[in-house]
Amino acid sequence: MAFIELDVLNNNAEQLALGIDLGTTNSLAATWRDGRPTVLRPDDGEAVVPSAVYFPEDGFPVVGRGARERAMMDPGHTLFSIKRFMGRGLADVQADLRNVPCDVDENENGVVRFHIRGRQYTPQELSAMILKKVQDVACRALDGAAVTRAVITVPAYFDDAQRQATRDAARIAGLEVLRIVNEPTAASLAYGLDQKGDGRIAVYDLGGGTFDISILSIEEGVFQVLATAGDTHLGGDDLDRALADEARREIAEQIGDEAADDPAFRQALRLAAEHCKVELTRQPRAQMHLSLPDGGQWRRTFTREEFEALAAPWIERTLESCRRALADAGLGTDEIDEVVLVGGSTRVPAVRRRVEEFFGRVPHTELNPDEVVALGAAVQAHVLSGGTRDILLMDVTPLSLGLETMGGAVAKIVHRNSTIPCQATEGFTTYADNQTGIEFNVVQGERELAADCRSLGRFKLTGIPPMPAGMARVAVRFHIDADGLLTVSAKEESTGTSSSIEIQPMNGLTDDQVEVMLRESYEHAQDDFDRRRVADLRAEIGIMTHAARKGLESVGAELDRETREDLEEALAVVEREARSDDAEVVQKARDAFERATLPLASLMMDSVARTALTGKSLDEV
Amino acid sequence: MDPCPQCGAAPTSPLACSACGALLDPPADTDPWALFGLEPGPSVDGERLRKELRRVSRLVHPDFHGSDAANRDLAERNSARLNEAYEVLRDDYARADRLVRLLGGPDEQAERQMPQAFLMEVLEWNEAVEEARDAAPGSPPRAALDALSDDLQARREASLAELVVGLEGLPPADNPGLPERLTEARKLLNALRYLDRTLADIRELRLEQAAR
Repeated sequence: MAFIELDVLNNNAEQLALGIDLGTTNSLAATWRDGRPTVLRPDDGEAVVPSAVYFPEDGFPVVGRGARERAMMDPGHTLFSIKRFMGRGLADVQADLRNVPCDVDENENGVVRFHIRGRQYTPQELSAMILKKVQDVACRALDGAAVTRAVITVPAYFDDAQRQATRDAARIAGLEVLRIVNEPTAASLAYGLDQKGDGRIAVYDLGGGTFDISILSIEEGVFQVLATAGDTHLGGDDLDRALADEARREIAEQIGDEAADDPAFRQALRLAAEHCKVELTRQPRAQMHLSLPDGGQWRRTFTREEFEALAAPWIERTLESCRRALADAGLGTDEIDEVVLVGGSTRVPAVRRRVEEFFGRVPHTELNPDEVVALGAAVQAHVLSGGTRDILLMDVTPLSLGLETMGGAVAKIVHRNSTIPCQATEGFTTYADNQTGIEFNVVQGERELAADCRSLGRFKLTGIPPMPAGMARVAVRFHIDADGLLTVSAKEESTGTSSSIEIQPMNGLTDDQVEVMLRESYEHAQDDFDRRRVADLRAEIGIMTHAARKGLESVGAELDRETREDLEEALAVVEREARSDDAEVVQKARDAFERATLPLASLMMDSVARTALTGKSLDEV
Repeated sequence: MDPCPQCGAAPTSPLACSACGALLDPPADTDPWALFGLEPGPSVDGERLRKELRRVSRLVHPDFHGSDAANRDLAERNSARLNEAYEVLRDDYARADRLVRLLGGPDEQAERQMPQAFLMEVLEWNEAVEEARDAAPGSPPRAALDALSDDLQARREASLAELVVGLEGLPPADNPGLPERLTEARKLLNALRYLDRTLADIRELRLEQAAR
């Protein structure tokens, strides 16, 4: 009863909040509706937003499906896998840079910047564009309700810099972040395993670019993470790349290295390899077909066995992390009651087989592995909106936190797999008379030398009252909050003065930089929104007119003359109107054109063309 | 415990009032046992500890205190204190270490002098780990490592049992012979660190070998 009273004080009614899975390849939103989590799918389109951004020559960036479609025609101006750059410096992402079609540098705090069409963009800003698009899609699915509160998921193995970057991206997108939740933990919520009683579960999450394994216990509705391990640089992309590298090797023998490394060709190769991998999950063999830069054609049939041999080393690497997590949890595989598979890459039969062998039980695959993280995030958003107190998530910090000592070693202050929120206090003193400041380096990682761990930044303690050397007793408090983010505060205990901490983030944006980006995005918000809508509509119209022309060519003769003329007229009108910058005008033109194509669509027996005409893209069929 | 300043009920945890849900702010030096409503002692009931962690987490977790910034900060702090105390209480070494310090005994920097024979033994353990590093599965060095691991595990259990006996029934702090008993406990704890380090090395090595 007491809780009800409290809830009334805190929340009059449950506000709608989104659960957003910001993925390497795809992003998606879900929310809590009618007593369960639901993926937000607009009537007129797809729920999934490909995590890609295309920069047209003029006008605003195109995000999602439109960007993916342009990538084939204009690979030099499309960015993929932006998540791999979040919270990373140039030195960390050398392998990924091979797939970036533009110039890249680093700002003074080690934040990567992409130079494209005469402007520069940080991964945070690009992720913010994706988040805005996801929000836009979600709001459309909710009949235009403006939802700005969200739970956003990150790989469990993301470190502080990567989590902070995600949080900053959400801020730039104008979202209120209720919580940063780990992807595998979210997935465990989506399965509602607490309904099945108490037990221990393993969540194996192989996404587009990251791998996580989390071991949880569920007791009386409390989901407690016991251990997590993973690799923020291992995912389905690597399986694609293994196939692409094999194809490239064979092609280079034929046409030479230089031609095989043509950026546009690389992009085409990447997409072909991905397509081939998807086919091989369904059938025992698949053909890769490529137009070579020299104009020739290249065809090669891959068997599933060949692909599995190429993928095996990557799959074995995921099992290393599984062993590590089990050891940290102090459990054997026989003590795991349920195994859950998450992430599109767990569709690969070899992955399923190896996971099943490893844990000795058939994993859960009932929920769509691409949707389960967003669904779980929606459950957590429901909890955080005051919707229920039956479920509680207790997550852990994936990496140890430490301080660099005088000799360059690491003094650990928080161990990995500590339940969050957690805290630690460390005492410091001065080594010179009247010293008023102390500088220290906070690192995250398991290695013994600070140089081998990731520096989260240099923290400068100032405002220590002047006193003889060694007399000051400064207590520095490290707090990792429920989002897994570190905050540092300090106090001089002998005088009770609060010392202030100045932080120079490593691979991160300062608050001021985020503010500027946020302001810029506000200033352009309506502008951006309209231009983006126009850009999306134009992309859609392009696909529709292309399909209509093809349809006219193939079955146009069967239409009566009047209908055909109407249609040709409609084609001319929509292409003229699409040049307008007014989103309303373009939207009306698109809708009118869709109506004009109905007779043609009903004529066309080819289901592919029909789908394209009703506004869906070809690759969804 | 003092009555809850908000509703006057007797709280069942120093971190929050279970009657009205208000967050409390106990003094910074409140010991881990007190945060779990326990009396300080060398052994705990793991099942009871987990149950209490779940019960109090449901009262103090920031998930349930999001609407107001000051309240959320206190929820963050109280959750962190609860989790920190849990980590101490559930771990045999950390719990005994904290108890020795709580009772005014020597800290881990003291009593570090180990008997010569013990140090020789530690050297032998290290050698056994190194010999097994590149040895093939099933080879004698690997079998020797397995035997060492079992032996160290058994010795660990025995040391912990001895620690519990040594620390049982303390406080009161005016207990005769208290300083000697605490010194003995510290010696045992320091020896335990060597055991634990080697056991951790063996665990690491096994993970490495499984990955090959």
